[in-house]
Amino acid sequence: MSGAGLLPVPLQDAEPLLPERLGELTGLDQLGMGGELIATFIAAFIVGNLMLAMTGVAGPWAKRKITAAFTDRIAVNRVGPFGLLIIVADAVRLLAKELIIPENADRPAYDLAPIVVASSAMLGFAVIPMGSGIHLADPEVGLAYVFAVAGIASVGLVMAGYASANKYSMLGGLRAVAQNIAYEIPLVVTGMSVVIFAGTLQMSGIVEAQAETLITLGGLDIPMWYAFVNPFAFVLFLAANFAEVGRNPFDTPEAPTEIVAGYQTEYSSVYFVLIYLGEFLHIFLGGAIIATIFLGGPAGPGPAELGIVWFIVKIWAVFLLTQWLRSALPRVRIDQLIEIGWKGMLVLAFANLVLTALIVGLLEAELALTMVMFP
Amino acid sequence: MSTGLDLPADASLEVTDDQLEALVGDRALARDDHKNAPGFVIRPDDVQDVLFDLRDQAGFDYLSCVTGQQYADRYESVYHLKKYDDPTQEVSIVVPTSTDDPVSQTAAPVYDAANWAERENFDLVGIDYEGHPDPRRILLPETWQGHPLSLDYNQEKPQVVTLAEHANPLQADQKDSETDTMFLNIGPHHPATHGVLHVKAVLDGETVVDVDPDIGYLHRCEEQMCQQGTYRHQIMPYPDRWDYVSAGLLNEWAYARAVEDLADIEVPEYAQVIRTMGAELCRIAAHMLALGTFALDVFGDFTAVFQYAFRDREVVQDILEDLTGQRLMFNYFRLGGVAWDLPEPREEFFAKTRDFLDDLPQKVSEYEDLIVTNEIFQVRCVDTGILEPEVAKSYGATGPTARGSGVDMDLRRDDPYGYYEHLDWDVITEDGMDNYSRVLVRMGEVEESAKIIEQCVDLLEDWPEDEREIQSNVPRTLKPPADTEVYRGVEAAKGELGIYIRSDGTDKPGRFKIRSPCFHNLSTLPEMTEGEYIPDLIASLGSLDIVLGEVDR
Repeated sequence: MSGAGLLPVPLQDAEPLLPERLGELTGLDQLGMGGELIATFIAAFIVGNLMLAMTGVAGPWAKRKITAAFTDRIAVNRVGPFGLLIIVADAVRLLAKELIIPENADRPAYDLAPIVVASSAMLGFAVIPMGSGIHLADPEVGLAYVFAVAGIASVGLVMAGYASANKYSMLGGLRAVAQNIAYEIPLVVTGMSVVIFAGTLQMSGIVEAQAETLITLGGLDIPMWYAFVNPFAFVLFLAANFAEVGRNPFDTPEAPTEIVAGYQTEYSSVYFVLIYLGEFLHIFLGGAIIATIFLGGPAGPGPAELGIVWFIVKIWAVFLLTQWLRSALPRVRIDQLIEIGWKGMLVLAFANLVLTALIVGLLEAELALTMVMFP
Repeated sequence: MSTGLDLPADASLEVTDDQLEALVGDRALARDDHKNAPGFVIRPDDVQDVLFDLRDQAGFDYLSCVTGQQYADRYESVYHLKKYDDPTQEVSIVVPTSTDDPVSQTAAPVYDAANWAERENFDLVGIDYEGHPDPRRILLPETWQGHPLSLDYNQEKPQVVTLAEHANPLQADQKDSETDTMFLNIGPHHPATHGVLHVKAVLDGETVVDVDPDIGYLHRCEEQMCQQGTYRHQIMPYPDRWDYVSAGLLNEWAYARAVEDLADIEVPEYAQVIRTMGAELCRIAAHMLALGTFALDVFGDFTAVFQYAFRDREVVQDILEDLTGQRLMFNYFRLGGVAWDLPEPREEFFAKTRDFLDDLPQKVSEYEDLIVTNEIFQVRCVDTGILEPEVAKSYGATGPTARGSGVDMDLRRDDPYGYYEHLDWDVITEDGMDNYSRVLVRMGEVEESAKIIEQCVDLLEDWPEDEREIQSNVPRTLKPPADTEVYRGVEAAKGELGIYIRSDGTDKPGRFKIRSPCFHNLSTLPEMTEGEYIPDLIASLGSLDIVLGEVDR
């Protein structure tokens, strides 16, 4: 078995990305740059809709059902089979509501905030390899790119909090920033420990690096998913991610019983839908990142064509966990949250990084030594 | 000051009538004994003097209630004093003031509880308290004209107070003030105010600098409605509507006890056992709700704990429905007993109740797993919302709020009524003084209540069939002799729910005053929360377990 850190730079003959395949399939690639652009747009449209269907349509319904199961209720069951048509009813209801804009709202910022929140998460999905060939782009800085665009959401939250001309929104916006800054660092630093293992920031490279077998237990191949390789980093990343997307026990920016709904207090109708959608997208993007860098991406039993199924299953598993925590855990106070972030998570994240670097470095040195001695 | 009196050193020891008389001395203009306590009439400018003496020298550390009322020739404030160590020791200080100039010295420097109580008397009755630290209206809007319970008030004339006429809490000067603080209206519509409570908070960042609960949004003139109903039948439905979250029977008992003492009505033992059982069922239901909503405040959503608490409360509600025919507004107690016997078939009712009691320990341990032992919950609740016992006493806090601060008072044990003294149970107290302790007290009380119910069921099962007397003989029209006064409290879910009644010789009360435990517990909120964070303010508010229907009445 080769050392984890020694993986070569991913081969250039990797699986073609979705736009390329679409271009080939439809013949659009014959049309030069313009054709490629159209193919890219179509591909982005497909991926975008897939994600929106999952987060905007299935998400809220599933959330209701899951939370209900946790809290001993039944939830929607009247409209359509399993209450599935409630999705349609909800859509009509939310879109038909009056859009109320506070008198003193800071207009461009107030209007832009929901779009920033929702689109920043959408952008993140572009570099996620979802299996079955659904992969929009694969830049070499993939992981850094995801963190960067997901971080833009904080700007949207501040805008929403500030522009609403509401004190609760203001408090919520400030909390959101404080929280995002405090947890972005441990999140990225923990992500870096994976990069050390994989030796690349490229998403496809990280997935490929996890494809090997870590250990065989009773005839069962345990893949080298980084969740198994470094469970400590996995847990750290999960926790930081929950804080990042503002879920229990770290849902202080919204904290309905304290500051009404935080930065989204003054949003109604379509804007509310956008902010809400943005939140769901961020949860799912968080799930996608976790699946990609810790759970082997689309890897799973069965043919490679099933990749997207496994990938979605993994995202939903993370989603399920957020709902579970939400139902079972109390919320920490804002000062405690910041304290956990700066005094706990940050230290642990750096400790994890240093340790990972040491281990990988030692393994590499040992490997280099063996190669010198037994060429 | 030396009075030369031989007063008992231990506050719990009885102060005799003679000692009291000697202590008040020639400041007493006359005696005005009430059914429950000796009463002294004093001059309006002796109030603090007398109350300080009674508090410091005779140990009356609990200002239970301040009643204000108007007679044809005078206004009167009545200070009902008790002792936390022994609430059966009572004394009433009656302070008459003239109709033309109803000014009386404030008692606020002696008891913090007098602050809100006197504001209420000013608001509703129209007595001015000289030297009061905060002489504002409390229940009615600032712009209200007249005092509704005074005799010359025109009850027929409606007063519409529009929002624009309300005093604007955001005064103009706050906009360009130099301070770095932020004024925040929490409520009256806010997810965590447990009804329509309006908390005016001043924040420094996330830290609470100043808190001023603004109440009265749910004021429904309950006292006046009771004054317009007949003792025998028309008042009993009202108590259900004070603390309306399933504490109905406890409230009804407060009224029943006051009138039974006022008119010397005996209650058959069998009825007392049924009352005791019903009241404790109500207490469990009320504490379950308190637990659920407190979890809601700390967890931040309608999460598992809230739903579980409601699921378990539902079982109690079913039993209460079987017993009384109602789920919320029971109207089950009658003067001298209860409305009807246990539902037939009795075995089924007993079996159902026993099933509930058998399941309860497992449920309680579930809550212990989910809440009490949860580390995040502990981090949130331990050492937040501190209420020192001395502060709690001064504000007249009672019930789980006081017991969570280590104040060991429970009227069921200390001023026995019903069948409690024959049963085996404990009073739960915690010394933590924080939000966590108050939760623990409520959880403990649920278990104690279950013990009481079990013993009641045992008793009721074996009760001989021919001795099941559910009501004593009470005259169809009850007319207690004129100018009889009584103040009686019972241990409701939130604390001491007291009722003062003065009869005027008719079949309706001359004055009906409700001493609400939530009202006094809520007045401790600024003490608990100033200097803490907003989330702790919300949690502390939740831990007080107030019901606005009872605060505002």
